[in-house]
Amino acid sequence: MVKFLKPNKAVIVLQGRYAGRKAVIIKSFDEGTRDRPYGQCLVAGIKKYPSKVIKKDSAKKTAKKSRVKCFIKLVNYQHLMPTRYTLDVDLKDVVSVDALQSKEKKVAAAKETKARFEERFKTGKNRWFFTKLRF
Amino acid sequence: MVAAKKTKKTHESINNRLALVMKSGRYTLGYKTVLKSLRNSKDLEEMNLLLVFKSKTLIGEVRKLVIIANNCPPLRKSEIEYYAMLAKVGVHHYNGNNVDLGTACGKYFRVCCLSIIDPGDSDIIKSMPSDH
Repeated sequence: MVKFLKPNKAVIVLQGRYAGRKAVIIKSFDEGTRDRPYGQCLVAGIKKYPSKVIKKDSAKKTAKKSRVKCFIKLVNYQHLMPTRYTLDVDLKDVVSVDALQSKEKKVAAAKETKARFEERFKTGKNRWFFTKLRF
Repeated sequence: MVAAKKTKKTHESINNRLALVMKSGRYTLGYKTVLKSLRNSKDLEEMNLLLVFKSKTLIGEVRKLVIIANNCPPLRKSEIEYYAMLAKVGVHHYNGNNVDLGTACGKYFRVCCLSIIDPGDSDIIKSMPSDH
């Protein structure tokens, strides 16, 4: 019996506005916190997937199409579907629970994760994570 | 192979083992709690520590087992199997529907899936993995 809801695990958000989006666990709180007394984790996910880039596209178009929009959220375990994939992006320093407290901190953290996700997408690794889940 | 022909004998032995788990072990019944038990490893880590202290040797992991009735809806069945694969927990497909599984647990309601957290005195977990 292995614990699998660990940092760097790729999950799919099942409920809420971001239902159907892929995300990566940054920090998990098995016990929950005092104001959220259930198992939850801090995830950073993709709000808007990068579009398909074709060979015909100019450099400007490729840059525009490869943009990724991110979200950061605390999600209950019940509203996540874990997958067998992992995503090794170091977001621990950027994203934390207090980044969610105020709007500016949230925006700054989202901007930083967006940069990291985009550079990961451009290397062509973790292709599953950056493709939209069809359902 | 024992798994191929599910004779009456093995079926009864599963029932006996399950009855022993109901008496002496820890288990949860029902889809939601099964998923919960698969997600958490808190109980198990405590018990692992206890075992190590008691026996002074590193026993293998205390294993869990998940039992699924045969009329469980296929989406739910594959979801539980996927969680169990991630958690490295064995899954046993019970030879009977949820009514039978409930009866085997000694309950008067239907049980579609159950998870055995601590087998107690039963050897269900040691003997079951050989089936599949």
